[in-house]
Amino acid sequence: MEAVFISSLNPLLDAVVEEMDLYVPKKAGQHFVFTRYESSSEAAVEFNNIRACTPVKEFLFPLRELAAIIPEPAEPKDIKPFAVFGLKDCDLRSIEILDKVFLEEEFHDPFYAARREKMFIVSSDCFDPGESCFCNIMDGKPFSESGFDLNISQVKDGFIIEIGSQKGRDFVEKHPELFTDVSDAALAERDEIRAQTQKQLERQNADLKFDVPIRKIMEAGHDSDVFDVEAKSCIECQACTRVCPTCHCFYLYDTKQKDYFSKMKMWDSCMRCAYAAVAGGANPRKMLGDRLRHRLMHKLVYFLDRYGLQMCIGCGRCVDADAGGIDIRAIMKKLYEELKTKDDTKAKAAK
Amino acid sequence: MNQNLYQPIIGEIVDIIDESSTIKSFVVVPEKEFRFKTGQFVELTLPGEGEAPFTPSSSPADTKKMEITIMKAGRVTGLIHQCKKGQRVGIRGPYGNGYPIEKFVNKEVYIVGGGVGLAPIRSLFLTLVDRIKDFKAVVCRFGARTPDDFIYKKMLFGPWQKIAGVDMKLTVDKSDGKWNGNVGVVTTILKKDDVKIENAAAVVCGPPIMMKFATVKLLEFGFPAEHIYLSMEKNMSCGVGKCGHCMIGKYYVCKDGPVFTYDQIKGYPNIWD
Repeated sequence: MEAVFISSLNPLLDAVVEEMDLYVPKKAGQHFVFTRYESSSEAAVEFNNIRACTPVKEFLFPLRELAAIIPEPAEPKDIKPFAVFGLKDCDLRSIEILDKVFLEEEFHDPFYAARREKMFIVSSDCFDPGESCFCNIMDGKPFSESGFDLNISQVKDGFIIEIGSQKGRDFVEKHPELFTDVSDAALAERDEIRAQTQKQLERQNADLKFDVPIRKIMEAGHDSDVFDVEAKSCIECQACTRVCPTCHCFYLYDTKQKDYFSKMKMWDSCMRCAYAAVAGGANPRKMLGDRLRHRLMHKLVYFLDRYGLQMCIGCGRCVDADAGGIDIRAIMKKLYEELKTKDDTKAKAAK
Repeated sequence: MNQNLYQPIIGEIVDIIDESSTIKSFVVVPEKEFRFKTGQFVELTLPGEGEAPFTPSSSPADTKKMEITIMKAGRVTGLIHQCKKGQRVGIRGPYGNGYPIEKFVNKEVYIVGGGVGLAPIRSLFLTLVDRIKDFKAVVCRFGARTPDDFIYKKMLFGPWQKIAGVDMKLTVDKSDGKWNGNVGVVTTILKKDDVKIENAAAVVCGPPIMMKFATVKLLEFGFPAEHIYLSMEKNMSCGVGKCGHCMIGKYYVCKDGPVFTYDQIKGYPNIWD
C-alpha cells in the first residue's frame, strides 16, 4: 500500500480542518473521548495508544436523530463532510458491521448512508492495548490494513501515513507540501511495533485461545445456566450496549412539533426489560438471564449466520463500562469449560 | 433504493366498524397505491402519538382500500380506538413474507384461529376462497372467549360457512346462554380426521397461549413441524430487520416472518411468551 511520511501531526490536522469538521481523541481521565478540533493553536493533540472509550457509531448513527417528517418527507440533506482521527482497527471493523445492517441493498438507511459517505476516516495503529482488549481473539489486529482513507503509524521520528482509498489519495495529492517519502527504516520500525503489540495481545489473552470456534462454544452453551448466573450482578444500566460500537438497536417514536409531526430514531438496548414486550403484555425476554443470553448469542452466532461476520470485535468497551462486572470474556471461558466437561463425559461414556 | 425507510405514506380512515367490546376494524384509504400480500403486515402511525404493527384483515385483491382490525391493548391502540372517520394516519410497509399461498395449492388448508388472530386469517381466508378450486378444502376452526368476542360476526355466523369447499366450526370459551355451538377452547374442536394430514398445511394465529396448545395438538396428530405455519406476534418496530425488538433467535419477525413454520423457530427459547 502506498505511504508517505510526516514529522508532526498538527499540519495534517490543520489541513483537514480547513476542509471539514474534525474530531480528535482527547484524554478524559483514563480514557480517550472524541472532541471537535478547531486549530493547532489549541492544546496539542495526543496520539491515542488505544481506542477511545466512546463508540464510533455516534458519528454515523447518532444517539437521537430525525427519521421522518409527516406529512412532508425528511431527507438527509444537511449532513456536512467530517473527519474522525485516531480510530483503531476495532472501530473500522465496527463500521463494517454497521454497514451490513444499514446499507443493506433492500433496506438502505438514508441517514446512515449520507453520514457514511461524508465521513473521512483517519485510523491509527494501537501500540499499547488496554487490559480489556481482546481483538486478537475476535479475528482482529491492533492495526488496520483496509477500511480507512488514511492510516497513521507512529514511529520514532514522526508518522507514516498510509493511503487506503481514493478520498485519501486525493487529500495527499492536494497537500504535497505536507509529506515526504517514507524511509524503509521507518517502515521496518512500524512493522516491529506492530509485531510487538500483537505479541502483547497474544500474551494477555492466552487464556482465551480456544481450540473450538467461539460460535460452537456459544451454540453448545445456549441453554446453559451461565447466563442466568452472570446476569445476577447486572444492574440494567445498559452501559454495555451504549458503548458497544456494534450494538445498533434503536427505538422509533413519534413526536408532535408546532406545525408537523416527526418520527425520531433513538438508541435502544436489548438489556432493557420491556425491550421485546408487546402491547398485550407478552415478553419473550422478561428475565435478565434471557436478555444477556440473547445479546451474546446475537453477537456471536445470529449475526454471523445472517451476515457472515461476528458482531463482537473484542474492543472490551463493555468490559470497562460494566457496572455489574459482567465480562463477555469470562462468559465465553465458562461456556468453553462446560463444553469441555461435556466432551470429557461423553468420551468416558464411550469407553 | 433511496426512499426513506421510516417515512410513512398518508392514508385516511374512511370507516370504522365495531367488532366487539375491545376490537374495531378501520377502513383506510392510502393516498398512494399500496399493495400487500396476505399475511404481510404494516406499521400504522397515529401522527405525533406512535406506531404499531398490524396485519391487514382485508383481501390484497382490494387495492383501493385496506382494513385493519385492532384490539385495544396498549397506549397506541387505545388512541387509535378513539379516532373518528376522517383521521389521517401514516402507513409503512408492507413488511415481511406473508402466507405462502402457492405452497397450499391442491392441499387442505387447516386454519386454526382465535380472538383477534382472526384478523390476518380473514385476509388469508378471503384470498383462499377467491380461488377456492385451487385447494382441496379450507377447514376452519375458530374460537373466541364469548360469542360477542367473535369478530366479523356477520360473515362468520352465516355467509362464510356456506361457501362450497369451506368446512367451518366455531367454539367459545364461555357461552352467553344463546350459543348453540361448542363450548371449550379451540383445541377441543380440533380432531385428527379434520384433514388428511399427509396432504394438508396448518395455519395458526391467535393469542400466544392458544397458538402454543394448538401447535402441540397438531404435532400430536402427526402434523410435521414444517407444515405448521404460525403468524408470530412480536414487537415489530422498524419493520426492516434493524431495530432488533422483534427478534426470535436469529430471525427478525418483521423481515423473515411474521409467518414461520414451527420447524424454523422451535429451537429458540420462550417463543410463546
